[in-house]
Amino acid sequence: MNKRKIIEKLMLGVISTLAVISAIPIFAIMFNVYAEGLKHVNLSFLIDLPPPPVGDRVGGIGPALVGTFTLVSLAMVIGGAIGFFTGLYLSEFSHTKLSQYTQMFLQIMVEFPTIIIGLFAYTILVAPIKRFNALAGGFALSIVIIPYIALNVREAYKSIPYTLKEAAFSLGVSAPVAYLRILLSTARRGVLTALLIGMAKVAGETAPLLFTILGTTFTYFGGLDQPINAIPLLIYNFALSPYERWHQVAWGAAAVLLTIILLIFIVSRLIVKEVKL
Amino acid sequence: MSWAIEVNNLNVWYGDKHILKDVTFKVPKNIIFAIMGPSGCGKSTLLRAMNRLLDLNPYARVEGQVKINGIDVYSDNIDITWVRRQFGMVFQIPNPFPHLSIYENVALGPKVNGLVKDKSELDRLVKRALEQAYLWDEVKNDLKKPASMLSGGQQQRLCIARALALKPKIILMDEPTANLDPVASSKIEELMLELKEEYTIIIVTHNPQQAARISDYVAFLYMGELIEIGETSMVFTRPKHELTEKYVVGRMG
Ligand SMILES: Nc1ncnc2c1ncn2[C@@H]1O[C@H](COP(=O)(O)OP(=O)(O)OP(=O)(O)O)[C@@H](O)[C@H]1O
Ligand SMILES: [Mg+2]
Repeated sequence: MNKRKIIEKLMLGVISTLAVISAIPIFAIMFNVYAEGLKHVNLSFLIDLPPPPVGDRVGGIGPALVGTFTLVSLAMVIGGAIGFFTGLYLSEFSHTKLSQYTQMFLQIMVEFPTIIIGLFAYTILVAPIKRFNALAGGFALSIVIIPYIALNVREAYKSIPYTLKEAAFSLGVSAPVAYLRILLSTARRGVLTALLIGMAKVAGETAPLLFTILGTTFTYFGGLDQPINAIPLLIYNFALSPYERWHQVAWGAAAVLLTIILLIFIVSRLIVKEVKL
Repeated sequence: MSWAIEVNNLNVWYGDKHILKDVTFKVPKNIIFAIMGPSGCGKSTLLRAMNRLLDLNPYARVEGQVKINGIDVYSDNIDITWVRRQFGMVFQIPNPFPHLSIYENVALGPKVNGLVKDKSELDRLVKRALEQAYLWDEVKNDLKKPASMLSGGQQQRLCIARALALKPKIILMDEPTANLDPVASSKIEELMLELKEEYTIIIVTHNPQQAARISDYVAFLYMGELIEIGETSMVFTRPKHELTEKYVVGRMG
């Protein structure tokens, strides 16, 4: 072996080692969360109210699970819809100044600290009614998700070959039919992936919820104008508490949250794989 | 004589680039009208200007008239979807919807345009379109399979069936055989001769031999200008313009 070959091998070795090292935290985190949390998780854990800080009652994360479901649904309905149509606009009107500026702002917004978004939602939806509420949380999560979904939906529509666009419009259909009925199915992998990854992102968000839903409530669901809980926020609140019992619930909740997010990722991977034409 | 289409002083720009310059011609009904010319002279642009597919390109600008049955497709208040439904379009590169089945590719147009009342009528329409495109026998057992499994020539005939299923008046074909082998090409040429009984066909080709073989009328487009137009036999035997002669002879000789 000559010198150059040896250096090449060495470089490859170093790079592969680094790659492996960078993946270690994922597995370490998963191991850590499941080792600590999984033992607390069972069906009643998913359904029951949280336990009192002391005593024997096991309790669960029912309200937080319902809350996360509610908030993610709100974010997907509001933020998902706005993000989708914004992305479609960005892709199909990319020649307009409005679209170019919108895209620039969305690219900045993706990187926005989400706690600031939470403060904004507090200002306009919590402060005026003087009560933490589910809608404010869903609104904050919507804002978190909009730029993300818009930019990815834009990519999905941009990837449609121009000749297919021409084929769709040559059928004499209106733009909504062309984009939503015909071409959406061409871009569906990209669009669904954008929605799912966006969903995983907001399911795990904590910061935007701190000032919007507070999360101390023990009720499942009292209405969109009432406080609600969410799993990430429950983890945050319980883990900071001095009670051992609540720490265990926090670990169990972390295991549930991680599982939800992993499931969403697996589904999105399957979607990407499904149609390889 | 009533015309299938009349084009008056048509000008097209892409940005600042003047692509079509004062193009004027008329196409009689139920004939094959060929537009020939060297690459880049504006043939595809001309077709897309007729059915307003050019509207998809934000940088394209059109002036002039394109009349079907006396109605200018560029007049204000016209319904562009109506305009496009008067035409069936077949593209240079076969472009079936790859994720849809063979059946769905043909059925989609009639379905979204509400051309049929029920499933059985749709089935009949799809079958007829596939038969007209001489594809039925090859695909009748694979209607549910994705269009992407077909060969290039079959895909192009599927695209012809898709265009026919819209029940258009005029069929626009943009070099429909450019990417096909001779066997598939001659199939599509035969098909055109059949179809002109029912439709007016406007075909773009950069192959003068093909124009000579199948067309009744031919127009020669050169750098965005219509140099010559006439009955095919006349244009090929006694071209009026020197450029036409060069193009026809140069390629044929
Ligand atoms: N989307 C576009 N934007 C800008 N210029 C374009 C666009 N499409 C085509 N052109 C230009 O317009 C001119 C005519 O193009 P067109 O596609 O109509 O030619 P054509 O005669 O169909 O050529 P070919 O035989 O190669 O298909 C060419 O110079 C081309 O570069
Ligand atoms: Mg062309």
